[in-house]
Amino acid sequence: VSWIQRLFGRESLERDMNREMRFHLDAAVADHVRAGLSRDEAVRRARMDFGGPEQMKEATRDARGTRWVEDFMSDARFAFRGMGRSPVFAVAAILTIAIGVGANTAVWSIMDALMKRVLPVDKPEELHALRRDGLQEGIYYTSYPLMQTMQRDLGPLAELAAVGSIGRAYATIADRPEPAQTLAVSGNFFGLLGVHAAAGRLFGPADDANVGGSPVVVISDRYWESRFGRSPSAVGRTIRINNFPVTIVGVAEPGFGGLNVSSPVDVFAPLTMHHALRLRGNARNQNGRDEEPWMPQREISWLTLITRVPASDAPRVAAIADRAFKADQEIALAQNDSASRAYAMRERIVLDPIPRGFSALRESFRDPLRALLGGVALILLITCANLAGLVLARGEARGHEMAIRVSLGARSGRLARQVATESLTLALVGGAVGLVLAQWIVQALLKLASSGTSAVPLDAGLNAPVLLFALGVTVLAGSIVGLAPAIRVRSFDLYAAFKSGGRVAGGHRLPLGRLLVAAQIALALILVTSAGVFARTLSNLIEVDAGYDRESVVTARIDLRAAGYTPDQLPAANRRLYQAVRAVSGSQSASLALFGLGPGGRRTSGFATAGRTIAPGQNLAQENYVTPGYFRTVGIRLVRGREFTDDDMVGRPRVAVVSEGFAKHFFGTADAIGKRMGYGVGDSTGDSGIEVVGVARDARNGGLKAPSPRIVYFALAQAPTEFVESVDVRVAGRPEPVINGLRNALSQFDARVPVREIVTVGAYIERGLSRERMVARLAGSFGILALILSAIGLYGVISYSVARRTNEMGVRLALGASPRGVSWLVMRDSLALVAVGLAVGLALWFPVLGLTRTLVYNVSPHDPKLLAASLGALILVGLVAGLVPAFRAARIDPIEAIRGD
Amino acid sequence: MNTKTDLLQGTLDMLLMRAVADEALHGYALVHRLNLISGGRLSVPQGSLYPALHRLENQGILKATWGETDTGREAKFYRLTAKGKKRLDSEMAEWKELSMAISLVLGGAR
Repeated sequence: VSWIQRLFGRESLERDMNREMRFHLDAAVADHVRAGLSRDEAVRRARMDFGGPEQMKEATRDARGTRWVEDFMSDARFAFRGMGRSPVFAVAAILTIAIGVGANTAVWSIMDALMKRVLPVDKPEELHALRRDGLQEGIYYTSYPLMQTMQRDLGPLAELAAVGSIGRAYATIADRPEPAQTLAVSGNFFGLLGVHAAAGRLFGPADDANVGGSPVVVISDRYWESRFGRSPSAVGRTIRINNFPVTIVGVAEPGFGGLNVSSPVDVFAPLTMHHALRLRGNARNQNGRDEEPWMPQREISWLTLITRVPASDAPRVAAIADRAFKADQEIALAQNDSASRAYAMRERIVLDPIPRGFSALRESFRDPLRALLGGVALILLITCANLAGLVLARGEARGHEMAIRVSLGARSGRLARQVATESLTLALVGGAVGLVLAQWIVQALLKLASSGTSAVPLDAGLNAPVLLFALGVTVLAGSIVGLAPAIRVRSFDLYAAFKSGGRVAGGHRLPLGRLLVAAQIALALILVTSAGVFARTLSNLIEVDAGYDRESVVTARIDLRAAGYTPDQLPAANRRLYQAVRAVSGSQSASLALFGLGPGGRRTSGFATAGRTIAPGQNLAQENYVTPGYFRTVGIRLVRGREFTDDDMVGRPRVAVVSEGFAKHFFGTADAIGKRMGYGVGDSTGDSGIEVVGVARDARNGGLKAPSPRIVYFALAQAPTEFVESVDVRVAGRPEPVINGLRNALSQFDARVPVREIVTVGAYIERGLSRERMVARLAGSFGILALILSAIGLYGVISYSVARRTNEMGVRLALGASPRGVSWLVMRDSLALVAVGLAVGLALWFPVLGLTRTLVYNVSPHDPKLLAASLGALILVGLVAGLVPAFRAARIDPIEAIRGD
Repeated sequence: MNTKTDLLQGTLDMLLMRAVADEALHGYALVHRLNLISGGRLSVPQGSLYPALHRLENQGILKATWGETDTGREAKFYRLTAKGKKRLDSEMAEWKELSMAISLVLGGAR
């Protein structure tokens, strides 16, 4: 009979055992009778020889080896019955644990998806990306001819595959263009990764053969699902990517969405189709010819190269690739002077392992997620301590029950195990509910963390490691909750329990419970101070003077390229667009800009000024192209000179407005009016064909966090090939009507133009603070939760102690103590507990808050004012929690109290 | 647990195995058989008998079947399995070694 059979065939085993023992006794009795004893005497002798049947049965049951499971089940059944008897406690406990486990699991599963999960490809540990190291972090780009040279030099040692961005892409499947994440990949991309087709075919060498020669795409499984409902007929369909017709030839295997886990790819296209599919315009290559296919051009570095090699081969591969890279650089930099050449030659090729792919989110959310995990872990600890206190108090109330069990022969170890099982059962039920909660919390967090209007597209579902984590947290919580009461039961004093008629008088004032409350206060101090630090960070960021108006400017983000405009149509289109927007009722002024304020694409170019030498690498500045009225509309103040006017057009002298930072950096003075500048590397004079006519205030145009970049503004009318992406309107009153009016105006202007956003600049900018907002909100709720929980815990302990000391208080009052004095006794008790907790908390505060250093803005993690406020809040908690019990103590009737015992 | 009970338990197991090695016996008969063979020198502690039998059964050393006794009553009969036979042989060999060693020591000490 196997262990499992013994476990489940318990009843028949019990029956057999009883039969067997009965037979033994009967046989013994029969023998004794045969030997001449009376029947009664025979029975007595047989029983005596046999010993206590129950003990023997117990020992026999132990021999089955299934004992602990049976005990657990019976304890769990008992626990469930107990929950039924006090449902409020049970529900509160289960919910508390569910929230704790749910929050921890949610944060963990996001971390798991973002930080830990490897790409769903063959041997991800062998995947490497070629990075240009030495100048800036993370330049992954090379040209296609350079890739071919590298591959030739590498031979069979390592195969290179390439991915290149298409840039912004819109897919037309039904009628209107809609955004679709599109990536160009080399023909061997899928093969190198070991990714298979879920339907149709993937790319092969034939797709690499001719530029423009392979108008096909592969879609991701996710896109197949969301956009085609997994219809088999999707394969073979022709759709348009950026107005270019392509045929879907296959679907990549489920789970694969490219190398960047935080922006999954919808559509894969062959590298050879890059030029045909790309929206042209608005990208500038200083050396290359943008209007021609990039693939054959040695001057355009746009490809990220990946390869698959064992880590031991990586240095060799990097060295060979580096030689090819250096040779390529020699040719490219032949015309440059020695200083800038030496500077550029500091770059070298290294191989980065990318088992988890790339992720922009990973970097920016690593620290916040760690902080969050710390926060939810602290919350879990506090709730556990709180629950443990509750269970402990219940245990005290159950002293009589325990006393009876002990006197009936229950071993204290067995009782302790039962109490622990009760907690564990509660925890397991809570954990199961928590798993359900976790799914919601994950979605809420992803939404909160998103800088757009939809949730971050991260696949953070349940999987084995996450489930394991949840189970671990649950068992941990159950153990913490069960430990204190179990210890208490082990040291149970039967004599004391009975002496006081069921009310336990021993164990001075619940010391374990007090310890737990002090711990809660200590942890709460950490959570409350960090909530303050993060709230201050957010408000500091929001209150930053960005250099432009946020509340009275409405902005629309559009894409003229996607509607099929050609550069020669642009001047007329821009004029019509401007007039349509200007006519929106409620608008005070309007303007168009190549790049809008807030997160989004930027163009950075190198500039030179006549007569000043700028160090290599220091000559970069952002450029933007705007219409007259731009500065007035978005509220960037001009400190010197003039705005652009309608006279600044093609054929007139080229003019520029520069930011103060630009002026100081390039001209050494804020007064740059009349200075001349041009594109170029820092120490050459460049073409100097542009005259500065105005100086504008610095503006944090990329968002609130980064300091103002150096910016140069050009007149849009003088650069007729730029496709504007931002339309800005200054509003007099409420923005909402203007938002609607603007939407209509854009639709009337050209319904084919995709409109990505229409919001106030403020709302758009603050989305860039999603990380800080998420952290601040969550930390705030953790802080409040911690305050409430510790207040409840404190109240419980103090009022319990008042209830137990009723007699003592009565005596004090009878002997002449004033009610106020008795109240003070209770308050002092409460405050003393808080003081102990705060002392411990302060010791933790310095190192723990120090961990938040990378997440704060313009505030010290150890800000003394925030600390003082938090200490005050917790002392207030001590006062409030002590108030009601103190009041109750003062109203004790001495006669009743003394007689009551 | 101290070594004395360990030794006793091991010995009891061995005695039980030996007793059912030749024929299947029920618990009550086992007690008598051991008593008889040892000439009344060994009396099985009855409180440990059934736990020991059940443990050995769970370990696959004994196999139990329900059958009828001479008096027509149903009883649970235990007999040695092949695995039990092997175990018994090795334990008996060990025991002989041990008892010889002990008698040598005791003899030498005299």
